[in-house]
Amino acid sequence: MLKITDLRAEIDGKEILKGLNLEVNAGEVHAIMGPNGAGKSTLGYVLGGRPGYDATGGSVRFDGQDLLELEPHERAAAGLFLGFQYPVEIPGISNLQFVREALNSQRRARGEAPLSGGEFLKLARAQAEALGMDVEMLKRPVNVGFSGGEKKRNEMVQMGIIGPRLAILDETDSGLDIDALKAVGEGINRIMRAPDKAVLLITHYQRLLDYVQPDFVHVLADGRIVRSGGPELALELEREGYGAVAA
Amino acid sequence: MNTLLELPTPRQEEWRWADMAALKAAAETARRDVGIDPAGLFLDIEGPRLLFVDGRFEPAHSRPGPVQVTQQLATTDHPLGSLADGEGWSLHLGKEHAATAIQIVHIGTGGESHVPARLMLAEDAVASVVETYAGSGWANRLTTLCLERGARLMRSVRLLQDAGFVSLREEAEVGEAASLVSVFLGAGGMGSRIDGALLVNGKGGFAEMGGALLTSGSQKQEAAVAVRHENVEGTSRQLWRAVAADKSAASLAARVEVARGAQQTDGEQSLRGLLLQRSATVNLKPELEIFADDVKCAHGATVGELDRMALFYLQSRGIDEGRAKALLTRAFVADALARIGEDVVREAFAADADRWLDTAL
Repeated sequence: MLKITDLRAEIDGKEILKGLNLEVNAGEVHAIMGPNGAGKSTLGYVLGGRPGYDATGGSVRFDGQDLLELEPHERAAAGLFLGFQYPVEIPGISNLQFVREALNSQRRARGEAPLSGGEFLKLARAQAEALGMDVEMLKRPVNVGFSGGEKKRNEMVQMGIIGPRLAILDETDSGLDIDALKAVGEGINRIMRAPDKAVLLITHYQRLLDYVQPDFVHVLADGRIVRSGGPELALELEREGYGAVAA
Repeated sequence: MNTLLELPTPRQEEWRWADMAALKAAAETARRDVGIDPAGLFLDIEGPRLLFVDGRFEPAHSRPGPVQVTQQLATTDHPLGSLADGEGWSLHLGKEHAATAIQIVHIGTGGESHVPARLMLAEDAVASVVETYAGSGWANRLTTLCLERGARLMRSVRLLQDAGFVSLREEAEVGEAASLVSVFLGAGGMGSRIDGALLVNGKGGFAEMGGALLTSGSQKQEAAVAVRHENVEGTSRQLWRAVAADKSAASLAARVEVARGAQQTDGEQSLRGLLLQRSATVNLKPELEIFADDVKCAHGATVGELDRMALFYLQSRGIDEGRAKALLTRAFVADALARIGEDVVREAFAADADRWLDTAL
């Protein structure tokens, strides 16, 4: 599904990703772990197409398409979802309006009919309830006044409504208490654990992996994947620290 | 044209951002058929309707109801407002009377037009007035409002002229526990000057004047509003949003004056500007002049660009860049238009703002 080959990327002229290789197949959950400054968030932003995060070498294929050639909104329509570490507050636009606009933009881009207000509302309610989010919060402006945990739940509600094929979740576990962590973990499993979907979990800690069992764990250090293994690698990292494992 | 000799100049502080050149050019344009159907400018709500074309009342397209069309003298020393003599409209609503959704449409075809208006609301009277400007030329208006005890007025004005200039002078007196809410939207291609002087002289009066100015190309629009509190427990709100694209300029000057003895005044000023390109200009001038010691006056003035992270957030969810900018810009002006009380009017104004965004972005 996703094939990253020798990816290099710069921010403000400084090379952050230095030849990263990774392959994610349908049905798999991959965790990318690594110390601060290793380039984890940069990887998410480069894949999502954030301006200023420019790939300077290598290639990224998503279902055979050249992902780096696509605009951010085209990547979304192709089935990519980027979960933000710090979801943005947008006063003046309600959650419902935002996600409906997003979903229907994607559907139109794929040649599908947009959902009516009623159809959309039904879908949104179901996803909010499954994530334990008060439906009333969907009427409020996007993330405005939400706690850290509520913002992350809201990301999962959006992901559930949009139904992507590949989710790249950047530190979705940061800022969560135990209950929220469990709800978010279950949300990821429910929405994304399917033979035709895949997840790239970017995380600093092992704790989210207690709820979302990865099939593969990779250690990212200094802009490269330095080790890959099964779920046991995450436990080893937690026990021995990045220094020992990445060396 | 004699009137043009008496125009203010940018050397006067209150007129430093005013585009009097655009006003003059608009006044000198020849009249021509602009092909506007007035029916499309009236909103689908019950109530009196008046159409003025080039400042002349058009009875065939009007059903004025209780509103009278009369000759009036301009009673102001405001340099533009004082030019607004002649045929105009007036309404005197008696005690506890209500007149909702009075709609007035002004179509200009070129040249200059001057219309005075007078609205007197007696005790506990209630009214709402919606005005729309379309066409071209220089439309100059003086509107005098007087709200007696407990009277309430909702006033919504949209400037949609394709070209030319609209200058509005609003003078209001707000009596005891009376409430005036006025919202202005500048979403056409014309230049504009919206000038307001609100006097809160009754105890516990509420006065609000705000709105959104959207400019593009080389257009200049501005609002200059002064609210004066002369009695206790008054409240005023000035919530303005300016959005400027290309090489245009939008300017907001808002002043709150609290006279000696006007204790427990609650004034709030929020002036915010959004630059869609760095070649555009937003000027903000918030002023407070307070001579009482027990007052609350909150004020804020900021100018910025669209938040890049918010833009990327929307794009990452599948919304293209143009649409994402339009959504964020609409959100920026939304709270200014949210003050309009009637759903139909508010939605019409929001649709006008959307149309502007579709062409400007």
